[in-house]
Amino acid sequence: MRIRAKACLLLAGALVVAGCTKPDETGDNNQAAVPQRGGELTVLLDSAFSGSWPSGLDPATNTTGGGNLTQMSSIYGGLFRLVADDDGKNAKVIPHQAAGYEFTDSGKTVKIKIKPGIKFTDGTALDAAAVVFNIKRDMEATCTCKPTWQLADQDPITAEGTDTVVLKFKQPNAAVINSFVVANVNWVVSPTALQSMGPDAFRIKPVGAGPFKVVSNALSSELVLERNPDYFVKDRPYLDKLTIRSIGGDQPAYQALQAGQGQVYEGMTTIPLLEQAKKNSQLVVTQQPATSPYVIQLNTKIPPFNDKRAREAIYYATNGEAIRQGLFKGAYPLSQSFTADGGLFHHPTVPGYRTYDLEKAKALVQQLGGLTVDLGTLKAYVADQVNTALQTQWEAAGIKTTIHSEQLNGLIQNFIGGKWQAMLQTAGAWDPAVGVGVGFRFSSGVPFSGVSDPTIDSLLQQAGQSTDPAQRDALYMQVGQRISDEAYAPFILAFAPASVVTKNVHGPGLTTLIPPVVVNTAILWDEVWMSQA
Amino acid sequence: MALTEVQVSSSAVVADETAPTRTRAWLRKLHIGVPAGLLLLIFFACFVLPLVAPIPKPTGGDILNSLQPAFTPGHILGTDDNGNDILARILVGGRTSLFVALTVNLLGLVIGGGLGALAAQAGGIVDSIIMRLFDVLIAIPSLALIVAVSLSLGPGVRNTILTLSFFSVPAFARISRAETLRLREQPFMVAARLSGTSTWRIVVRHLAPNIGPQLMTFAMLGLGIVMVIEGALSFLGLGIRPPAPSWGNMIFQGQLSLSGTPMLVVWPSIALFLTVVGFNQLGEAVRLRWSGR
Amino acid sequence: MSDVATTSPAPRVFSAVLGSPALRLIVKRLLTAIPILLGVSILMFVLLNLIPGSAALQLLGPEATPEQIARLEHDMGLDRPPVERYLEWLWNALQGDLGRSLVSRQPVTDVLPTRLAVTGELVALAFLISLTVAIPLALLAARRPNRFLDRVSMVVSTAGLSVANYVLALLLVLLFAVKLGWFPAIGYTPVSKGLGDNLYSLALPAFAMAFPLLCFYTRFLRGDLVDQMQGEDYVMTARAKGLGPWQVLLRHAFRNSSFGLITIVGLNISGLIGATVIIESIFSLPGIGQYLLQGILTRDYIVVQAIVIIFAIITVLANLMADVLYAVLDPRIRYGTN
Repeated sequence: MRIRAKACLLLAGALVVAGCTKPDETGDNNQAAVPQRGGELTVLLDSAFSGSWPSGLDPATNTTGGGNLTQMSSIYGGLFRLVADDDGKNAKVIPHQAAGYEFTDSGKTVKIKIKPGIKFTDGTALDAAAVVFNIKRDMEATCTCKPTWQLADQDPITAEGTDTVVLKFKQPNAAVINSFVVANVNWVVSPTALQSMGPDAFRIKPVGAGPFKVVSNALSSELVLERNPDYFVKDRPYLDKLTIRSIGGDQPAYQALQAGQGQVYEGMTTIPLLEQAKKNSQLVVTQQPATSPYVIQLNTKIPPFNDKRAREAIYYATNGEAIRQGLFKGAYPLSQSFTADGGLFHHPTVPGYRTYDLEKAKALVQQLGGLTVDLGTLKAYVADQVNTALQTQWEAAGIKTTIHSEQLNGLIQNFIGGKWQAMLQTAGAWDPAVGVGVGFRFSSGVPFSGVSDPTIDSLLQQAGQSTDPAQRDALYMQVGQRISDEAYAPFILAFAPASVVTKNVHGPGLTTLIPPVVVNTAILWDEVWMSQA
Repeated sequence: MALTEVQVSSSAVVADETAPTRTRAWLRKLHIGVPAGLLLLIFFACFVLPLVAPIPKPTGGDILNSLQPAFTPGHILGTDDNGNDILARILVGGRTSLFVALTVNLLGLVIGGGLGALAAQAGGIVDSIIMRLFDVLIAIPSLALIVAVSLSLGPGVRNTILTLSFFSVPAFARISRAETLRLREQPFMVAARLSGTSTWRIVVRHLAPNIGPQLMTFAMLGLGIVMVIEGALSFLGLGIRPPAPSWGNMIFQGQLSLSGTPMLVVWPSIALFLTVVGFNQLGEAVRLRWSGR
Repeated sequence: MSDVATTSPAPRVFSAVLGSPALRLIVKRLLTAIPILLGVSILMFVLLNLIPGSAALQLLGPEATPEQIARLEHDMGLDRPPVERYLEWLWNALQGDLGRSLVSRQPVTDVLPTRLAVTGELVALAFLISLTVAIPLALLAARRPNRFLDRVSMVVSTAGLSVANYVLALLLVLLFAVKLGWFPAIGYTPVSKGLGDNLYSLALPAFAMAFPLLCFYTRFLRGDLVDQMQGEDYVMTARAKGLGPWQVLLRHAFRNSSFGLITIVGLNISGLIGATVIIESIFSLPGIGQYLLQGILTRDYIVVQAIVIIFAIITVLANLMADVLYAVLDPRIRYGTN
């Protein structure tokens, strides 16, 4: 009798507790909850972008390294990393495997201190010598994933003692620390392992000092990682095993998450699926901050866009607000320059920017006697939709538009051929001076830029060198002003992909916001944990 | 020919013995009539209707109208993610899909079927050369051939037809050759050869009516397959380039967000299904009529 | 292909030694396979060279300048004339060295076996499922033409043919993986981890691939069988001899119809690799379809040539088997033995 009574009480108690828990908890309101150790997590990556690593995972040769942030940071950790408050504000680059840094020689030299006692997973030490070896190797590699540093001619990369790396530049390089997080120099490989395995084998089974080590690597298919017990951050990572799989797109990824074969999908862009995922109580959708707006690059070197009136016509014919409402359901603010509200130096408006005005567009087209445009882009769901909308809008102004989208190889060919007329791309980055930033799209002498304007070149250079944020801000505003005045390239809005996770997963960059430095948010995998319940 | 007459009467003895002859004749008319009617309707809707009726344009839709559900005023089947009317896209897309599918299968039937039969009938070195050439094409994995050809030629209707014909022609040739080989040793074929009939005449007068039915079945099946494959080419960025519609590329675009936009897949699939059923039923019925049974 | 028996001594000894004409046929076909394989490799090489772009672009990344590209292409030997590069490839291939991937530097022979195993198993399962269902279904349907089973199976198979295999795959995942949870939505478990788990992980993809094949074979076979049963005079003869309809169907009609079926199956083998790409991408299977597609998109001609030639060999062998089967099934067709 007593036992039964006790059991009934227990049952009643359990029911009361269960009843008190709200059934539909979304969002990371478990932040107060304590992270738990353990768990095996599968990350799904889109095979068209981050789920593709055909050249291996050696930072010196991984051309897709900028898209493979998850793979690289899990294996290598990183000298620096980008962190932010949970809501994405106050983002800054902080030292991770580095201990700190100081600028000397009016910004032309930077001394980076390395944290003591860090070991690669093969037991050898990650010290200044190892870092110097790496940076030298990366800068000499043929990959364009290295940073665009103007290194000094004499001994630009040296070690001072066992814990300090000295980098010398020709001009002051204020953005150097920020540039680490998107470049291959952030990932330090074990020189011992590299030498004993040889580069060909190393790129398949790399050795780093990150939170995880490689178990198996099937290129562009599946990467299996296990916890690094000697990781330099105590009690991290939380996860025991991390499996990274490539999958064919948002739809199969969404179904895999629903079926439980994956816990994280990075970078969902298909808007109808995002709507579905948001309604799904088993999943948590986190829209990351936006840092790179869509821009319609116009090739000012050849007809028709060597004529400013044609360029202005495009500005007037483009209805960004309609695209924003129709495609993105009003989710993102429009940009008039290469910055967005998730990144640095953002200003929402540029004085004198030519906004949508169909009559002016038609008038200009008539003046020109007609306008025919070939508009291309890199093949992607959202880009294709934006291009289609633009085609319709421009046709209304009398601009005959053909649209096409290419894979990467074809796109590069298009740019290099020099015959391209208009390209929908993204421009800018969290820090406009780094990565596929502004220089890439607006400097002279670069095939991927439609602009040849020495004023912009000099402004960008100064902004990259200045150590004063206020001055950089003013300079970037001037660049934006110039682009707008000369009608070089209209901007639309900055769209950021979302992370979709099952509700038991928590982590920075997954369930909290971190601005993407270039395209994808860099998730801090050593801080990711799963509730075991 | 005497032989076929004998076959007809014997088939009357051997064949199924159920309903009385008059109902069977009526049913036979229906067998042809129903699918023919359905197909005529589809063809009319796709080729004629857009020209005469006030149907919205299939492209150039207003992005603010995106993803409207069915029965929205002005858009009876709703709109797609770019704001284009789905019904208009199905009708105009049908034109493209039907054109591509019919052309590809016609080319296959005539060129492939003809060459295959010729090869089998002629035998010897002619057979060897023709079939080895086709063997080379067949031996290359279809994916490699499609992607390589399409990347060099680019997307579009004409190049899609060309690319897909690389498959239909050898396929028909092989089928046609196999069937011809089978028939070659039949008494009437041997007789024709012995009496000195020219190869060409044998192919046209004797082979074609006998292998025709099999090739027709294959062609009918092929129609549906081509329409679907053409959509799959979109997966590789080839085929009919959006926003120009085709049933295949509409289904493909729709499935990218299947969980969110199932109707974008359902409507063109229904159109495709009805057409494929129509063609197959018609093919069956015509084949039965043709072979006199 | 009509061979007249020669009178010189050597071939007679040859044929006496070899005996069966089927064996002679195999040898002859294997010999003709050589020019076919050469033709395939040349054609593929030519096609790849017609596509603009190169592996150097892939290796350099999106910010590559024309000078960097030209330099890397030179370093990699990619700017040499195509004939020279082809002959080099051919020479190595004949010695068993299929080369190293231009993009990943991995020896192709390291990567191929595991990927081939995945796709091979998938395709084999697809054929198994489709033929196991299609043949009995077609026989049953042809046994009683225009009756209920025949009608239903025809409509269903026509419907199945108008569904794209990727849509079917997604729907299968939606029903069996998401809603019911009976099968996994993605992933591949190798046989080494247990045959049961392996088959379990391939169940949905195999069925997604098998279903269109199944529909196709059912329709085709049924049509052919019905033709046979209602037309050929040997059928009449057989029935007159008192053979039951099933015996006629199986022993005679099916035997003849298998010509067409074998031809189609043979055609499908190399065609299926196109279908596997999409299935592999949806189910995240580490198969050869994806590897081939990536190879073409990154202009990695070493990888593409290797895969294409292996598939060509498989196809040639498959079609050879088809031809042998023709000869075996129909004594009237023995090439050169009239």
